[in-house]
Amino acid sequence: MEKKLFINLGRCIACRACEVACEKEHGISFITVYEFRDIAVPLNCRHCEKAPCIEVCPTKAIYRDEDGAVVIDRSKCIGCYMCSAVCPYAIPIVDPIKELAVKCDLCAERRKEGKGPFCAAVCPTDAIIYADLNELMEEKRKRKAERIVEAQRKAVETLAYFG
Amino acid sequence: MEEFKIGLCPYCGMGCRFYIKTLNGQPIGIEPYPGGVNEGKLCPKGVAAVDFLRHKDRLKKPLKRTENGLVEINWEQAIKEIAEKLLEIREKYGPDTLGFFSSARCSNEENYLLQKIARLLGTNNVDHCARLCHASTVVGLAQTVGAAAQSGSYTDIPKAKVLLIWGYNPSETHPVLMRYILRARDNGAKIIVVDPRKTGTVWFADMHLQLKPGTDIVLANAMMHVIIEERLYDREFIMNRTKGFEKLIAVVQKYTPEYAEEITGVPAKLIRESAITFATAGRGIVMWAMGLTQHVTGAANVKVLADLALICGYVGREGTGLFPMRGQNNVQGACDMAALPNVFPGYQKVTDDEKRKYMAEIWGVEDLSSKPGLTIPEMIDAAAKGELKALYIMGENPVMSDPNTKHVIEALKNLELLVVQDIFLTETAELAHYVLPAAAYAEKEGSFTASERRVQWNFKAIEPPGEAKPDWEILTMLGKALGLPKFDYSDVEDITREITLVAPQYRGITPDRLKREVMGVQWPCPSEDHSGTPRLHVERFATPDGKANIIPVEFKPPAEEPDEEYPFILTTFRIVGQYHTLTMSNRSESLKKRWSSPYAQISPKDAEKLGIQDGEVIRIVTRRGSYTCRAVVTEDVSEGVIAVPWHWGANILTNDVLDPEAKIPELKVAACRVEKIGGC
Ligand code: SF4
Ligand code: SF4
Ligand code: SF4
Repeated sequence: MEKKLFINLGRCIACRACEVACEKEHGISFITVYEFRDIAVPLNCRHCEKAPCIEVCPTKAIYRDEDGAVVIDRSKCIGCYMCSAVCPYAIPIVDPIKELAVKCDLCAERRKEGKGPFCAAVCPTDAIIYADLNELMEEKRKRKAERIVEAQRKAVETLAYFG
Repeated sequence: MEEFKIGLCPYCGMGCRFYIKTLNGQPIGIEPYPGGVNEGKLCPKGVAAVDFLRHKDRLKKPLKRTENGLVEINWEQAIKEIAEKLLEIREKYGPDTLGFFSSARCSNEENYLLQKIARLLGTNNVDHCARLCHASTVVGLAQTVGAAAQSGSYTDIPKAKVLLIWGYNPSETHPVLMRYILRARDNGAKIIVVDPRKTGTVWFADMHLQLKPGTDIVLANAMMHVIIEERLYDREFIMNRTKGFEKLIAVVQKYTPEYAEEITGVPAKLIRESAITFATAGRGIVMWAMGLTQHVTGAANVKVLADLALICGYVGREGTGLFPMRGQNNVQGACDMAALPNVFPGYQKVTDDEKRKYMAEIWGVEDLSSKPGLTIPEMIDAAAKGELKALYIMGENPVMSDPNTKHVIEALKNLELLVVQDIFLTETAELAHYVLPAAAYAEKEGSFTASERRVQWNFKAIEPPGEAKPDWEILTMLGKALGLPKFDYSDVEDITREITLVAPQYRGITPDRLKREVMGVQWPCPSEDHSGTPRLHVERFATPDGKANIIPVEFKPPAEEPDEEYPFILTTFRIVGQYHTLTMSNRSESLKKRWSSPYAQISPKDAEKLGIQDGEVIRIVTRRGSYTCRAVVTEDVSEGVIAVPWHWGANILTNDVLDPEAKIPELKVAACRVEKIGGC
């Protein structure tokens, strides 16, 4: 299975390192961190499996590349912003210079060099991870199991103590 | 040609590694370096760490003040004139009229050299900005556990079962440390945060004790009251490894949670619950920073936290420890190198005849001054009074970083000689007689010591701009011009090797080793074949008899309390995207646009009372000055508290009253009033 970019809201500390990293890579940031009273939401393209932007694009400028990322071919984009309108997260934005739709390309240049997306690479708390879903979940399950064992041992110890 | 050089982050005390990407010798970006304590991760400042290096404002030539303001002069001339003037002032008024500000931004070698110059000139008037951040820690920990440093390593954090985070907001000040803290939480640790503000760190906490600024001692004493009453302390540890528990019992007796509630504003029930949670966890870590230390009772604050950890037995074992988190990249190193007025490198007292003889011999002189020098605030005061005549400042910006700005400026203007050595023309440099252009972190080599006592080598990636030079080179030139003995260093390693001779903790930390071991070495490291010390106090404490001293302290209120004229408590804090006095961070477009301007947090109730809308411009006034910024109406602060990030010059407002023991100013509490100006 291909790697995807996961966002774990319970871990974001709103430091915006991801924004700065994306901006360094692309000149503008394709990820935005929205901060609320006790939680923050870093939001970028989810590279949806059933991507409405791909479906709706009249010139077929948006396509899926070999790693599964949803990307825009600038030479084909006509700047109609149908993609922005249909995106559930309102992701594609206007490039201030070229005046065409632009969006997160999952760091296409970096992937070519075998490196992962920059935002995930720097995120200090692993609120953003670039990973294979099944592997990721397997690891998480294992950690949960370890916690169960630990809790169980503690319960036994406590019993012994009071018993 | 594109190249990658291993870099060391110039911002906070975490000690993060990264690659500096260069193209034809110019820095073009940062790339994650897989090793290092940060495991490749970075905060926004780290990601933007090359931005200021080639900024047009970089100082490129030495400057001298003339009738036409600051004009360029050549290096030889500048050094010669400065040396002559220093010697002349010493001749005329005596060595103790000279003062030196060293820097937690500079390397160990550079701090070592500056204090050496001061001491060879005959004065111990040398200090650095730890005075404004962890001087209380240095004093408090020296008295209790005998070593003024973080006792464990970051890797202890995920092994703890409870984290008590006191006056410290890692989510903004050490974002990468949050990685370790969240791992602890994943492992089931409970997180207790003590802070007058609801910070990003509180989002992840199980309990938030939102105390009134300056009431820390009451809260800690009340927690100990509960722990003692419920008999949850570690009896064996107290018996075998500490002294003074009986006195503590007597002192904390009256600090019932109910009494503490009245003073701190934290519900008694919550105090009880947090005390029990802390004491019964089995493995705990106490972390603190400026919220605890910058008080008129700073050293006492540190002592109560140490007491709290000690009675629970949370020192010297895996997953436990005392963690004073360092704000600048080399606070620990600058302290270790004795950029402090009362000690030689390695915390050896200047008053100790034997130690002094030893230092004098190594430095090639008969004897050194045994009179402890002045601290930063004392030097500022002495300058204002005309008692201090010359001040040499390396890599510090006291006009912005010290409390009571107006007073600082008056003091600096009163000097016969002010030399500032820095990478930008700071607000302080603008007042100088001589300004010397220094190299920034990526343009020089040397060692830096991160918060967990980790000494790491800083590799050079690019050349300094113009005629700027590494601070150690400038100081070597100055030392020679002053005619000081043994100043013939040909490279920075010579100095590193001298440090291994002088500071016992650094004995095995040679330059070759640091270059080879990119992860660095944690001191103490007594010999070259020693692997370093991740954990202190394992068997004995660093006190003369090996036992920790439990030192009870009584509460003393802050120096200024709200009254009719100044009804609010002003407190200051830091934000993630700006750094200290903005010198470096605000020269990054990416940081500047996201963290753009000063503001003040005010509670909705207070805002309503004053008729202040969110975003409106307000003026904050204290007995020392006034400050204009935008209001942010938020429930993150309690009624009666106004909180401002200090980066944009808020020190015009803060109080310069000192803790008598640590001489740290009470930057965290001042009485203020808020005036509505209107307009957005
Ligand atoms: S870098 Fe990570 S923690 Fe920081 S704002 Fe982005 S997602 Fe959140
Ligand atoms: S742009 Fe929007 S719709 Fe398209 S893949 Fe990204 S998140 Fe999905
Ligand atoms: S994956 Fe790359 S392009 Fe997309 S938000 Fe992250 S850094 Fe930006």
